[in-house]
Amino acid sequence: MEISITVNGRSEALDVPDNALLADVLRERLGLTGTHVGCDTSQCGACVVHMDGAAVKSCTVLAGQANGAEVTTIEGIGNPDNLHPMQAAFRENHALQCGFCTPGMIMSAIDLVQKADGQLDEGDVRDGLEGNLCRCTGYHNIVKAVLAAQDDMKSA
Amino acid sequence: MANETGIGAAVKRKEDARFITGTGRYTDDIGAHGQTYAVFARSPHARAKLNGLDASAALATEGVVAVFTGADLQADGIGDLPCGWTVHSKDGEPMVVPAHPPIAVDKVNYVGEPYAVVIGESLEAAKNGAEALEADFEELPAVVDLASAASADQIHENVPNNQTYDWELGDKAATDAAFAQAHHVSSLEIVNNRLIPNAIEPRAALGEYDAASGLYTLHTTSQNPHLERLVLAAFVQIAPEARLRVISPDVGGGFGSKIFVYAEETAVIWAAGKLRRPVKWRAERSESFLADAHGRDHVTKAELALAEDGTFLGLRVKTLANMGAYLSTFASSVPTYLYGTLMAGQYKTPAIYVEVQSLFTNTAPVDAYRGAGRPEATYVVERIVETAAREMGIDAAELRRRNFIAPSDFPYETPVALTYDTGDYEASLAKALEHADYAGFGARKAASEAAGKKRGIGFSCYIEACGLAPSQVAISLGAGVGLFEVGEVRVDVTGSVTVVTGSHSHGQSHETTFAQIISEKLGVPFENVTVLHGDTGRSDYALGTYGSRSLAVGGSALIKAIDKIIAKGKKIAAHMLEAQEEQVDFADGTFTVADSNQSLTFPEVAFAAYVPANYPLEELEPGLSEKAFYDPPNFTYPAGAHICEVEIDPATGVVDITSFVAVDDFGHIVNPMIVEGQVHGGLAQGIGQALLEHGVYDETGQLVSGSYMDYTMPRADDLPSFTVDTTVTPCTHNPLGVKGCGEAGAIGSTAAVMNAVTNALGVASVPMPATPETVWRAAQA
Amino acid sequence: MEQSGEYTVSASRERVWEALNDPEVLERCVEGCRSMTVTGEGEFEAVVAAKVGPVKATFTAAIELQDVVAPESYRLQVGVKGGAAGFAKGSAAVQLAECSRDETRLTYHIEGSIGGKLAQIGSRLVQAAARKMAASFFERFAVDIGRSQGV
Repeated sequence: MEISITVNGRSEALDVPDNALLADVLRERLGLTGTHVGCDTSQCGACVVHMDGAAVKSCTVLAGQANGAEVTTIEGIGNPDNLHPMQAAFRENHALQCGFCTPGMIMSAIDLVQKADGQLDEGDVRDGLEGNLCRCTGYHNIVKAVLAAQDDMKSA
Repeated sequence: MANETGIGAAVKRKEDARFITGTGRYTDDIGAHGQTYAVFARSPHARAKLNGLDASAALATEGVVAVFTGADLQADGIGDLPCGWTVHSKDGEPMVVPAHPPIAVDKVNYVGEPYAVVIGESLEAAKNGAEALEADFEELPAVVDLASAASADQIHENVPNNQTYDWELGDKAATDAAFAQAHHVSSLEIVNNRLIPNAIEPRAALGEYDAASGLYTLHTTSQNPHLERLVLAAFVQIAPEARLRVISPDVGGGFGSKIFVYAEETAVIWAAGKLRRPVKWRAERSESFLADAHGRDHVTKAELALAEDGTFLGLRVKTLANMGAYLSTFASSVPTYLYGTLMAGQYKTPAIYVEVQSLFTNTAPVDAYRGAGRPEATYVVERIVETAAREMGIDAAELRRRNFIAPSDFPYETPVALTYDTGDYEASLAKALEHADYAGFGARKAASEAAGKKRGIGFSCYIEACGLAPSQVAISLGAGVGLFEVGEVRVDVTGSVTVVTGSHSHGQSHETTFAQIISEKLGVPFENVTVLHGDTGRSDYALGTYGSRSLAVGGSALIKAIDKIIAKGKKIAAHMLEAQEEQVDFADGTFTVADSNQSLTFPEVAFAAYVPANYPLEELEPGLSEKAFYDPPNFTYPAGAHICEVEIDPATGVVDITSFVAVDDFGHIVNPMIVEGQVHGGLAQGIGQALLEHGVYDETGQLVSGSYMDYTMPRADDLPSFTVDTTVTPCTHNPLGVKGCGEAGAIGSTAAVMNAVTNALGVASVPMPATPETVWRAAQA
Repeated sequence: MEQSGEYTVSASRERVWEALNDPEVLERCVEGCRSMTVTGEGEFEAVVAAKVGPVKATFTAAIELQDVVAPESYRLQVGVKGGAAGFAKGSAAVQLAECSRDETRLTYHIEGSIGGKLAQIGSRLVQAAARKMAASFFERFAVDIGRSQGV
């Protein structure tokens, strides 16, 4: 099927199989390999991207469902010279080790902070990130980073 | 002024720039022109004869390129997957090793064992092909229960009683004598639950073959690419090492599970040569559950003999260790040399005797998982010590203190073959007690009780032996590889530095820590240092990263290479400054002649080495690049005190960790931020084992905890924030004075949690994982 | 997985026994059965569309009648190969006891197991679905034969 999606501000017209998953299209067709696939049951959250402003697990979104949507991936929120406050907070707080869960974690965290309008406490962050698995950090520094980014995003 | 990017500084990580922007490069992110896709057909049976395999429909499937069976690999001379450590039984006989073909030939022995690989033009084609395979299985009764495995059906023709070895360590007679004079004996039956490692990046491989050069290149998710290459060359016989390059790019976590050489990358690199086309494979999570080596899985009886005053007299431990269906790469060493040797813990127990019987079952192979043997040992020691304290009515912290090896006792030779070089166990316990506000526990317990809750506190004073060493001793005990590491310092013409290390980072942050060492020792700006790793084409033969060895062993190799750089630099500087070599000092990136104002910067000397105008060419080679191998004389012995406090709701059985304190002694620390992160991650895995995680096979050998829906990974809302601190007794035998920190969290924490849970409930033991249901049942009793 | 049940059917034991061996009756009583073909002496092949949790799947089951003691009992052996999804297999031991001339007590005991991906990912769903299917078969059978007897 023919779909047109806007990914990180760029419009793309693609011919994809009906059963193609958004995660695979991002990775294989658009070369956006920052979106990772860590499980096959939609549990790990490594593949989280934003679709029309909301966090979705792109491994369970059909590419066809994204037809006409605006998709933002980890590659679209900042770059080393101009990091998104959440990216900067992850670095500042050592909220990542192997880095594999990080893109999904950051995308989920941004969505979480945006939706909460700056009102998150530690428990909220922990609850809000329970759909994203990290095996390296024990979440301690991720929680710290999200709370720090919340302040930065408020003042930004 | 302290170097802000040197040793001891909490420098932000170099590697983060790519990981937070989605530009990391993991194996699955790498593709090759014209690549094909591999899908493995996996046994649905725990034990069966494979009487036939009809691949005709698979081969006729659109887009299928080839179907290869175990017989195809064997016919091509592909060898078995070896186990790298030969453990000997009590009677001196070497362990019994069953054949382990990468792809099953005529029988399968666990659910998920590959029996064919289908190669397709696309992933979908390969999947369709695998679906069309017709395998004729004849089911056999599966051996699943570890406790009865020795008397169950024999799984492998050459392995009677399903036993690979029956090993012992320590002095049996002395231990029996200690028990005979005991005032009190505590005993405990312990099941150390099976865990499934679950690095978030699934294993993957991309095999390529260049017909023109005959060179094979394998990108794969390995913690130790040289080991991978060695095994694929020497045992599997893909090609000589010189024609085989193994690259581990960014790797998304390992925790031990990516040390081993598996069937999949073996088949992928072989098939790439056979087909003369690149072959790609990435595990689906369901495959990771089935086919990554699992961890732990022991059944143990432990007994501790004590004198009236609580002095430990003897410890007796008998363990059954589950090996799964085959011996994975280092499986044999985990419940023996990484387990029995740790039974002294932090204590002066004079007599210890450990017996370990390792058995096969029709389950996935079991091998090293974060901590590997040492968490199991700590669990035994710290659970039985806590049990003894309760039974004898001695405060649990006090009983430990009475038995600690004192700072003045070091070096301390244990009755189980290790010599601890240094430590101060009292110091870490004291600091932990303070952080945990042990004095205030009674009041908190009373407050919980008033609210209908049960509160408990648990200790774990663990010892770890890591940075496995030295090579000669390990090889004499059956190790098939050396235990050194290689480090190379390539000073560039302009004075920037490229480090090539044999250690591999899959989260550990070598690009940062090793650059800090260079920055400190050579005065080179941190941003002018690049650390390369994970490529057999770049570094000399190396052993990679496992067992918390990178800094202690790999970092030491780096220091040796740095020393050579400085020594050569001094020679060059002496020539240039017309001074004697002995007169030249090097500090903060500058070579100076003593008692003079003459000096040269490090980049000036580097430049002279590569543009040798004013240079002693008749005495010295040009260039400034040095490499060193370092073989450590001993393990390093991190140790610490973990204190866990829990509050349990008896109505629901939910365990709430209200505080977790870890005070660890890792010797000198290069980057405290990174070390804390390593501890946090380890704690999460140890707590996960205690409360959440469990790899479960049903009685027919089906893995029923085979997805994230059933295998409970610790999530953000399952864990508390941790209180982490350190004490320092520098390692006495490596140049940095460092000890490993990667596994400590996972080693110490499990026992602390379970000691807290049992303390809260007032029961002798609760099986792991202490899920709400388990705890609720225990609370009703 | 094990499950037992009991029905009193308003038909003679011979009639019930006949029905239990009649592919057409069996086809009617298996929920979602698309076809039931005789493949040999006491052997059938059934094509069944089943809904397991959110997944709809069509599978082929090989059915074999074993330990046949007419008209008292047999064992219905069912095997399903799900390809890459794994397998399911089970047996139903069926016993018929004469209550009266036109009333028969049917008791069954089912044992089943699943393997491969079905067990790994779907064990809870599949077991629940299998239980439901088994119960529904005997329920439908009891109703069906009661009805046909009544006509």
